[in-house]
Amino acid sequence: MGNNIQRRRAQRRRSRVVLPYVLMAPAIVLLVGMVYPFAVGAYYSLTSYWLQYPQRFRFVWFDNYIELLEEPLFSQALKFTLGFTLVAVVVQVGLGIAAALFLHGRVPGRSTLRAMMLMPLMIPPVITALMWKIMMASTNAGILNHLLSYIGLGPINWFGATEAAMVSILIIDTWGNLPFVALILLGGLQALPTEPYEAARVDGAGAWDIFRFITLPLLAPFIVLVATFRTMDSLRIFDVIYATTVGGPNDATTNLHIMAYQYSFQWYQLGRGMAQGMVLLLLVVVISYLLMRMWDRAAERTPK
Amino acid sequence: MRLHRRSFMGLMLAMSTTPRAFAQSDDSLAYFRRAKINWRQAEGQPLALGMNKHPFTESLLPLIPEFKELTGINLDYLILPENEYFTRLAADLSQKQGEFSVIMTGPMRNWQYVTPGWIDELDPFLKDPKLTDPAWYKLDDFIPGLLSANRWSGKIGAGVGEGPLYSIPVMAEGYILHYRKDIFDQYNIKVPTTIDEMAEAARLVKKHAGIAGIVARGTPNVAALATGYISGLKSYTGGEWSEIDSNMRANLHDPQAVKYTETYIDMIRESGPPNWANLQWYDAMESFAAGQAGMLGDADIFAATFEDPKRSKVAGKVGYALIPGGSGGKTIAGLWTWALGINKAAKNKTAAWLFIQWATSQRTLLRATLNYRNLNPTRTSVTTDPRVKEMIGSWGGGSYVETTKKNFETARIAWVPQPERTRLRDIRARAHHAIYFKRMSAADALKKASADLDRVLKDAGIRP
Repeated sequence: MGNNIQRRRAQRRRSRVVLPYVLMAPAIVLLVGMVYPFAVGAYYSLTSYWLQYPQRFRFVWFDNYIELLEEPLFSQALKFTLGFTLVAVVVQVGLGIAAALFLHGRVPGRSTLRAMMLMPLMIPPVITALMWKIMMASTNAGILNHLLSYIGLGPINWFGATEAAMVSILIIDTWGNLPFVALILLGGLQALPTEPYEAARVDGAGAWDIFRFITLPLLAPFIVLVATFRTMDSLRIFDVIYATTVGGPNDATTNLHIMAYQYSFQWYQLGRGMAQGMVLLLLVVVISYLLMRMWDRAAERTPK
Repeated sequence: MRLHRRSFMGLMLAMSTTPRAFAQSDDSLAYFRRAKINWRQAEGQPLALGMNKHPFTESLLPLIPEFKELTGINLDYLILPENEYFTRLAADLSQKQGEFSVIMTGPMRNWQYVTPGWIDELDPFLKDPKLTDPAWYKLDDFIPGLLSANRWSGKIGAGVGEGPLYSIPVMAEGYILHYRKDIFDQYNIKVPTTIDEMAEAARLVKKHAGIAGIVARGTPNVAALATGYISGLKSYTGGEWSEIDSNMRANLHDPQAVKYTETYIDMIRESGPPNWANLQWYDAMESFAAGQAGMLGDADIFAATFEDPKRSKVAGKVGYALIPGGSGGKTIAGLWTWALGINKAAKNKTAAWLFIQWATSQRTLLRATLNYRNLNPTRTSVTTDPRVKEMIGSWGGGSYVETTKKNFETARIAWVPQPERTRLRDIRARAHHAIYFKRMSAADALKKASADLDRVLKDAGIRP
C-alpha cells in the first residue's frame, strides 16, 4: 500500500519535471529555428566566406563591418533605406488615417468599399510590382502615361530616371500597404468610446477640433502600432525594388537589403553580405524598440 | 501574296516537324541504338537536371519521354528563371550536394566553377568507349570555335580554347547590328561601319522617323553590357584592348575605351529611349520588335522574334549587319554559348553523360532548332540542314545568314578568363549609369570602375 503511494508520488514528481518541457517544446523548436539561422548569419558576417574561394575562408573579426564604412554604396544605401522608410511611413499613415475616417463615416456602399480595400492585401508584393511595372511602361503603351496624356501630362519616365524611380517605388509600396494601415486604424476608430464625442458636440466643438483634440489622441496607440509595423517592413523592403528597378538606375533605389542580396547571391561574397544584413537587422531592432516604447507611452496616456 | 506563301510554308514546316510527322518514336530510338554503346547501362538510376528557362529547355521537355524509353533512367528536372537558376546552382555546387547532376552553363560561367573545382572535365567521358561511340556522336560536327570556347586551361587570364572541355554547347549567339531597313532606305541613312556613323544614324532615325534611334540593354544587372557594347569596343580597338591586362590589372579606363564609351553613352542619351537605364534584354528586344527603335546591337538570335509576325511588328523590315568595326574596319564581336556540363558532386555520372550525349546528338539538336527555333545551331550538320536553311534563309533578305556566318568567323569570347566576370560586368554597368546620368565624366567613372575591380581581384586572390 505505502509502496503504491510512493510510486504514485514519484510518478507525479517525474511528470512535474517533464511536463513543462513537453509544453515548451513547440516554443523551443521555434526559438531554435529562429536563432540558428541568425547565429549562422552572424558567424559568417565575421568571416571572409566567399562561395567560389573556399580555400580562402578565414575568421576576420569585424573586417567586413569596417569595409562597409569605406564602401560608398553603403552610405548611399543607408541613406535610401532611412529616407524611404521615413517618407513611406508618413505618407502611408497619413493617407491611412484619411481613408479610415472616410470609411468610418456614413458613405454609401461602405461595406463594398471596405471589401475592395482588402484586395491589394491578397496580392503578393512581387505580383503587385510587376503589375505596376507594366502599367508604368514609359511609352504610351503604359496605361498610366496613356491616361496622363489625356490631361496633357507626361510621359513620365517612371523607372528610367533616378528621382522618378524612387517615387515610383513609393507609389507601388503605398498601393500595396495602404489597406493594411487603413484597416487597423478603422478598427481603432470603431473601438473608440462615444462619450467624449457626445460631450464635445454638446460643447459645440467643430469637426476639426473633434479630430484634433479627441480622435487623434485616442487613436494614437493605433497610429504608433501601425507605424511600427510599416517601419519594420519599409526598412527591409525588397520584392518591389527587385521586381522593378533592381536597385537602379545609378543605384538610386539600392537599399541595404538589395545591397546585401547583391553581395550574397549575385557575387557570392557571403561574409560581406551577411555583415550588411546584420546592420539592417540592428537598424530594424533599434528603431522598432524606440517605436514600441512610444506605443507603451501612448497606450498609458489614453483613458481606458 | 508574299504573306500567303510564307504562312503556307510555315504550315508545311510545322507539319513536317511535329513529332508525329518527324519520326515515330521507334524510328528515333533506332537512330540512337545505332550508337555502339549500351544506352541502358544506367537503367533505373535517378538523374536530376538543373535548367535555365530558355527556348532550348522548352525544346527538350517534349522529348524527355524518348530519353526515358531509350535509357530507363529516371529523369527529373527543375527549371528556373535565369537569375534564380544561377543562384540556386551556385548554392548546390558550393555545398557539393549534387542536387543537379546535369547543369546548364557556358564559357564565362565555367571560369567561375572550374577554379573551386565544382564541375567535371568531359574529355574522359568522350574517350571512354563504353560511354561514347565517337563515330556515331561526331564531336567534330560541332562548329570548332563554339566547342573550343568551352575549353579552358584553368590558368587565370589566359587559356580559353585550351585544356579540358567543361561543357558541350547547345546554342550559340553572336552579337550583330539589327536595323530597320525600311527606315534606313526611306531616309537614305547609311548602315554604320564605325561608332561615329552609328551615332549619326541614330540621330537621323530619331529626327526623321520620330522613334528612338537606338535601343540597348541598360539595367545594372543581367549582362547589361556584355553584348553589343563590348563587341563594339573590342572591334573599335581592333581586338587590342581587353578589360584586364596581362598583369591582371583592370584596364577599363584605357583612353581608347574611355573615348568609345563616351561616344556610346552620349548616343544612347541623345537618341535612345528615355528609360534605357531600366531596360532588360527582353525589354530592348520587345521594344525593337514593336517598332519603337531604329537599331539594336545585340544577340543575333533575336531575329527569331523579329521575323515572327505573331510577335513582331517589324517582320520583313529588319536588316542585319556586323557591329561597326574600328578604324581597321574589322569587327570582332563577342559570343556566348549555352552548354551542358556535369556537376562534380553528381552521384550518377554515367547517367548524366548519357543524357548529355542524347541531348547534344545530331538528331536532338536538329529537332530543337526545327521545332523550337533553337538558334544558332552549334552543329554544322544542323546549320547546313535544308530545312534549317529554309527557315532562316529569307530573314533580312538573306542578310541574316550572311551576317551571322561572317560574324562567327571572327567572333570570340570577349572576356579575359577569370572567376569574377559577373562582378566586372556589374561594376562596369554602374560606371555607365554614372556617365549616363552625368554624375561623372567617362574618364573618372571608368577610372573608378578600374579601381573597384582591382580591389575585387585582390580580395579574391586573383592578383597577389
